[in-house]
Amino acid sequence: MPRAVGAVLVLAALAAFPWLFGAYPVRLLQEILIWGIFAMSLDLLMGYAGMVSFGHSAFFGVGGYVAALALKEQPGVLAALVYPAAAAALAAAVIGFFSIRVSGVYFIMLTLAFSQMFYAYTFQVAWLGAEDGIIGVPRPAVLGLSLGDATAFHVWVVLLFALAALALWRVVQSPFGHVLRGIHENEARMEAVGYPVGRYKLIAFVVAGTVAGVAGALYAQFNGQIPPDAFFWTTSGEALLMVIIGGTGTLGGAVLGAAAFILLQSLVSTYTERWMLILGATFILFVLFAPGGVVGALRSATRTAGVAGRRA
Amino acid sequence: MGELTRRTFLAGTTAAAASVAGGPWVRPGHAQTGPVKIGVLLPYSGVYTVLGEHITQAMELVFARENWTVAGRKIELIKEDDESKPPVGVRKGQKLIESDRVDILTGPVHSGVLAGIRDIVHNSKTILIVSNAGADQISRERCSAWIFRTSFSNWQPCQPMGGWVAKNVTKEVFQIAPNYQAGKDMMAAFRETFVPAGGKVVGEDYPKFGETDYAPYLTKIRQSGAKAVFAFFSGSDAVNFVKQYDQFGLKQTVKLTGAGFLTEPDVLPAQGKAALGVLTGHFYTPLLDNPVNQRFVKEFREKYRAMPDGFACQGYDTAEVIVRALKAVNGNTQDKTKLRQAIARVEFDSPRGRFRFDPKTQNIIQPFIYVREVREVGGELNNVPIDKIPEVKDPGTGCTLPV
Amino acid sequence: MPFVPDFFGQALNGLAYGVLLFLLSVGLTLIFGMLDVINLAHGSFYMLGAYAGLALIAATGNFWLALVAAPLAVGAIGALIERVCLRPLYGRSPLDQVLLTFGFIYLFEDLVKWTWGGRIRSIPPPDLFSGSVRVFGSTIPSYRLFVIVFGLVMAVALWLVIERTRLGAVIRAGVFDAEMTAGLGIDIHRVFTGVFAFGAALAGLSGVIAGPIQSAYPAMGVTILIPALIVVVVGGLGSLKGSLAGSLIIGQAETFGKAWLPEAAMLIIYVVMALVVLLRPQGLFGRALR
Repeated sequence: MPRAVGAVLVLAALAAFPWLFGAYPVRLLQEILIWGIFAMSLDLLMGYAGMVSFGHSAFFGVGGYVAALALKEQPGVLAALVYPAAAAALAAAVIGFFSIRVSGVYFIMLTLAFSQMFYAYTFQVAWLGAEDGIIGVPRPAVLGLSLGDATAFHVWVVLLFALAALALWRVVQSPFGHVLRGIHENEARMEAVGYPVGRYKLIAFVVAGTVAGVAGALYAQFNGQIPPDAFFWTTSGEALLMVIIGGTGTLGGAVLGAAAFILLQSLVSTYTERWMLILGATFILFVLFAPGGVVGALRSATRTAGVAGRRA
Repeated sequence: MGELTRRTFLAGTTAAAASVAGGPWVRPGHAQTGPVKIGVLLPYSGVYTVLGEHITQAMELVFARENWTVAGRKIELIKEDDESKPPVGVRKGQKLIESDRVDILTGPVHSGVLAGIRDIVHNSKTILIVSNAGADQISRERCSAWIFRTSFSNWQPCQPMGGWVAKNVTKEVFQIAPNYQAGKDMMAAFRETFVPAGGKVVGEDYPKFGETDYAPYLTKIRQSGAKAVFAFFSGSDAVNFVKQYDQFGLKQTVKLTGAGFLTEPDVLPAQGKAALGVLTGHFYTPLLDNPVNQRFVKEFREKYRAMPDGFACQGYDTAEVIVRALKAVNGNTQDKTKLRQAIARVEFDSPRGRFRFDPKTQNIIQPFIYVREVREVGGELNNVPIDKIPEVKDPGTGCTLPV
Repeated sequence: MPFVPDFFGQALNGLAYGVLLFLLSVGLTLIFGMLDVINLAHGSFYMLGAYAGLALIAATGNFWLALVAAPLAVGAIGALIERVCLRPLYGRSPLDQVLLTFGFIYLFEDLVKWTWGGRIRSIPPPDLFSGSVRVFGSTIPSYRLFVIVFGLVMAVALWLVIERTRLGAVIRAGVFDAEMTAGLGIDIHRVFTGVFAFGAALAGLSGVIAGPIQSAYPAMGVTILIPALIVVVVGGLGSLKGSLAGSLIIGQAETFGKAWLPEAAMLIIYVVMALVVLLRPQGLFGRALR
């Protein structure tokens, strides 16, 4: 039970954030949580099922655009959450149906191709606002409560983050999650044992896509707009970096990676023009000296501390 | 521990936590004797780096002239790199507004960033002086009492060129621009005066943004039989297009005309001789023959060792507007409405001519759109003004500002 | 009838573009085939090549010298990176290589901006090829004809080296099975360093070659990364023949797409790649594995 207590404490702290800090730190935190949801969903694919996708932005974008379009018509939870998630699930089912036929680099590039097709389309069509995307997206109202209020919206983000984290955690802890890890380790063996590997992969792809759609929907509400860049490959690339920095195969790592990435990008650039240099050098040093990401580094740090403690 | 002490202790830790975790974010509100904070939201990395740099440099030139003090208050610039990415720009814009509490926000270059921060600016009643992004809608249905623009609307440099090209160059034109909305808007603005003057668009194409190989389009232009091309490109697109246009030998037979960005000094050196003879419409060229401009060009060249361009002129005008408005309100930035009204009334001699805002849209009325030809002047390529169209004012369709 | 010269002219355009893509991507495919590394910094080497070329031309005024020396400089940087940063990563998760090479993208982009500024630059074509010529009724810049000839000569030379020399045999063996090759008493590490440096040098070479057609700016490396990866995948990972075929196919598809289906110009290469991957997952000339 201590794990659950810890989780509740963390969530309470996240929800209480606006009472302690100004508007900008709260905004950064919300951005981290939203990207955290997105990165966790990608980690389900990469870290558990071993499917490195370079086109995860497709579902982020679909969720964002559908939420933006729907929220302009009606303010409720259906528009804010249900339609975007359903649309992202559908997109993931279609793209997944084709993509899971290949693996490795080919999977990477095929998913990339699909997301870039979305980008090309949204960038050019007037009814989706072309290169500006959809602007002026209103915040939703949940159970009659308008989320136009900054604090209410913050609680909404924390709540959805908690739900997404819980859902993904349940998935990876379930027998289904164990099969995914089995596929990651040795696909041929799982197939030989009789698991319908393709179906498992497709379901994982759809689950991850759906959660990514939720992240995209939140992102559109958060910014009040959704640009075609949401589909662009750099969006997938940044999520990929977050997962790697955090440490693959640990949902918490994905969130830490999102936090590290966004904080580095936002804070370093305030102090120095040379932020790209610092970010790049950080990545390089990280790979060379901290394999396993933030989580790996934390684990080995606690292990060293533990050993030292026992010796003392 | 008594009740009181514990509460004090808690308050103390909270404040400490806020100052540690908050770092630069948590700033106390400032009194009227403190500096005037001016947010500068521009790209300092990515493809538009040079634009951001030139706008900033010209602003600093003006503030340095005032010894960084206006109406008894110091001027403090808080610069943020928006990377020309809308999500990053929105995040940094929010920081400048909510955390730094800037008195006046300036920027951005990218229209997507402007679209993203427009509602935040409008709802928080922050004064924004747009120093580049030309999206027409900011002077039309998305205009705001809190938003001014010292640069241009995309419509402005293109609309007068249509009639001019029809009269002076040819009535058969091929149009080409990147496949985003701004490009299409500029082509439409050109047609507004080109078609009524008897002009005919014999073909049009919208290559992708960031294209590197224009060969297929150039072959199509040659086939179309057009006598001239009207093009809008900027940045690396402008360099690639103009160079390849020349390499294909088109320049001798099909006159290249366009929006001013096609041959601005940020791209002109890279285009080199390929740009010679290109005709463009723009609100500025460093060769303008007026004393304010001559002084500006001299000072800018001395300080930054580069030719000022339209972007630098925009930065100059943005800073000049701020300086004059602050003087008019005697340094009082607390009363936002008064400051806003002071900005709307500012009028002065800018390097590009007499500067004033259109009260209908709060967008600049371009004193002139100059028709410029790229020629070699004193061993360097430059845009030589050969004609001008006065008083170019965005129609402002759909914009109604509260009086 | 304009159709015939149009078709021929566009085919020639597509050929020039395709050859440029070949030079751009062949190093990437060699590195992938041999080292199993997806080098995301390949575009950065291309950018470094262009800037090294610019610096050399500014210093000497000689395009041809730059064409030889700039790739050597980039190759040396590549060798250093392989030796110091990449070697410890062999056998670790490929994702570590992704993060590392991505780090170099940021690093090099900022270093170049620091050194040369963010301004857009450009390499003028050598005087010999500064005009345009008419070929069967179509006009093409003479520099593009030079690029076509140069690229095809390079392709043949590379093919000869790989198929006909002892070094080529070692590389081919390494692509097939690096461990077994090491078992034959060949210093596979040195070969790895050499192949990586060679791939980097080829990227640098393409940076100089593309200079007179395109423009140079710090972010240019990122913009060509995706097209280069697409060519490699279409052609088949690690295959020289594949990378030539992939380049020429993508070059023609893009050119004719732009000419005839302009609204779809942004989509074409992705559609082509998706079709190839779905119908022939190992690429046109790749070995069926992985």
